[in-house]
Amino acid sequence: MRSIKHKIDICAAVAHVTIKEYLVYRSHMMVSLFVGPVYFVVQFFIWTAVYGDGGALVGFEYEQMIRYFGITALLGYVTWNSADWNLSMLIRTGRYLTFALRPLNHRFFALSQKIGHRLLAIGFELIPCTFIFILLFGIDMRPSNIGWFVLSVALAFFMNFYVNYCLGLASFWIVQTDGIRYLYALLSTIFAGALVPLVFFPVSLQFIQFFLPFQYISYVPVMVFLGEYRLGGFTLSIPAIVGIQGAAVIVMFILSEILYKSAMKRFTAVGA
Amino acid sequence: MKKFFNIYFTCIKTAMARALAYRLNFVLSMLIALGWNALFPLVTILIYGAGASFPGWDFYEVLLIQSVFLLSTGFAFMAFNGVLWSTMHHIREGSFEIVLLKPISPIFFMIAANFDPECVGMIVGGTVLFTIAIVHTGVASVMAVGQFLILFTAGFAVMAGINMLMAATSFKWVGNSRIPEIFDSMMEFGKYPATIFPKPLQGIAAFVFPVSMIGFFPAQALLGDLEMYMIISIIPCILFMLFGIFMYKHMIKLYEGVGG
Repeated sequence: MRSIKHKIDICAAVAHVTIKEYLVYRSHMMVSLFVGPVYFVVQFFIWTAVYGDGGALVGFEYEQMIRYFGITALLGYVTWNSADWNLSMLIRTGRYLTFALRPLNHRFFALSQKIGHRLLAIGFELIPCTFIFILLFGIDMRPSNIGWFVLSVALAFFMNFYVNYCLGLASFWIVQTDGIRYLYALLSTIFAGALVPLVFFPVSLQFIQFFLPFQYISYVPVMVFLGEYRLGGFTLSIPAIVGIQGAAVIVMFILSEILYKSAMKRFTAVGA
Repeated sequence: MKKFFNIYFTCIKTAMARALAYRLNFVLSMLIALGWNALFPLVTILIYGAGASFPGWDFYEVLLIQSVFLLSTGFAFMAFNGVLWSTMHHIREGSFEIVLLKPISPIFFMIAANFDPECVGMIVGGTVLFTIAIVHTGVASVMAVGQFLILFTAGFAVMAGINMLMAATSFKWVGNSRIPEIFDSMMEFGKYPATIFPKPLQGIAAFVFPVSMIGFFPAQALLGDLEMYMIISIIPCILFMLFGIFMYKHMIKLYEGVGG
């Protein structure tokens, strides 16, 4: 119990320092107040034109589709992180050594940092943009079940963090991970469901998504928000898909643990 | 004039040599750029694949707009994109004096020295998509090709203006790597048929921030659907580019060499 409290204290301290650090760059974050709504306006008119007189498209009504893109845009503010780039840079420059010497697991430190960073984003990006979407576009931003939705968003955040951290860990083996990171970004953009709902893809591609991390970062929480989940010919209840999402996060956590321990054995603190 | 050409071609040769020094990275970067290109019309492919459409537009007409947009951005990124990142780096480090000390126009030097050959991937991808689209849509007439080339050049001028404006912004908004996001978001309006947007937005995209000229208007020329207002909007495109250059030069005058 004392150990858990100690960990929470460390997490809170690191998150607090991160918030203070990034408050200096708050104008950078506030770029989202312009960029997010502009991207959304484009999506709004694309789908307004596509739906024309109404009807449904691959099971999505017009209003659902608009809500889908609204919540997708907002979700990114909560789940985004650059753990891959940060870790890769530390390893490449040899600065990881200063973290290896600390009596603290770097992954936990990085996670605490990202929690702080995203808490700041909630204040400077998420809340203002939510109001813009509600007041300007009249979008219904009420989730079908707030408890499941908050849990799913938290799991999406952890999933994105562990995946990115694993990509960063690749630097212990291949030093320059830009190619892998860009490739992941490409696949993630396609298969997380941010461009278009995954049900637009061929069924076989949809089914594969159950075994890849992408849908758990965006598509799943968005569908939990909408209150119905379907993919690859399956229709699952919200508790069932959030359960699968939780299991996927645990698998990713274990994978990152294995990679982290394996990487520590290779670390020579040489730098580049 | 000959001096400028010589310097520019020397810079291109240097950029090529630099890129080819890391051949694997160069090839990978081009392949990834090609992958991103494949992603470019994905939404359109999936929309039409689901049996829906943009009213009044068939799939290949939309693909033509998007391929022209991709070609224009590919050429513009190759010529100008590095100016933003290089300017941002110099401002943050306080090393822009090195550029100012050169016995040549700083704006020309920044453009020439930051030629980016890795954007070839975008141009190749754009060319493939353009070829696929044009085979299906056909070309309205020989005159349409001439109109296309004029409007495509105007679109390139818009892209030049956008890049110069971004670089100028980085003088004041030091180290903000999100500057391109602002302009990228506004360029989204140029990727789709302008007719899906309301009239006021169409007007802005034609005359104020003329992103319709990047893809939509040149594609309309090829399809034989050119309207007079599209030709008139060449003027704001040129003004936009001149404004970008003016802003960059103005920011150079304000530069104080503090660093960060």
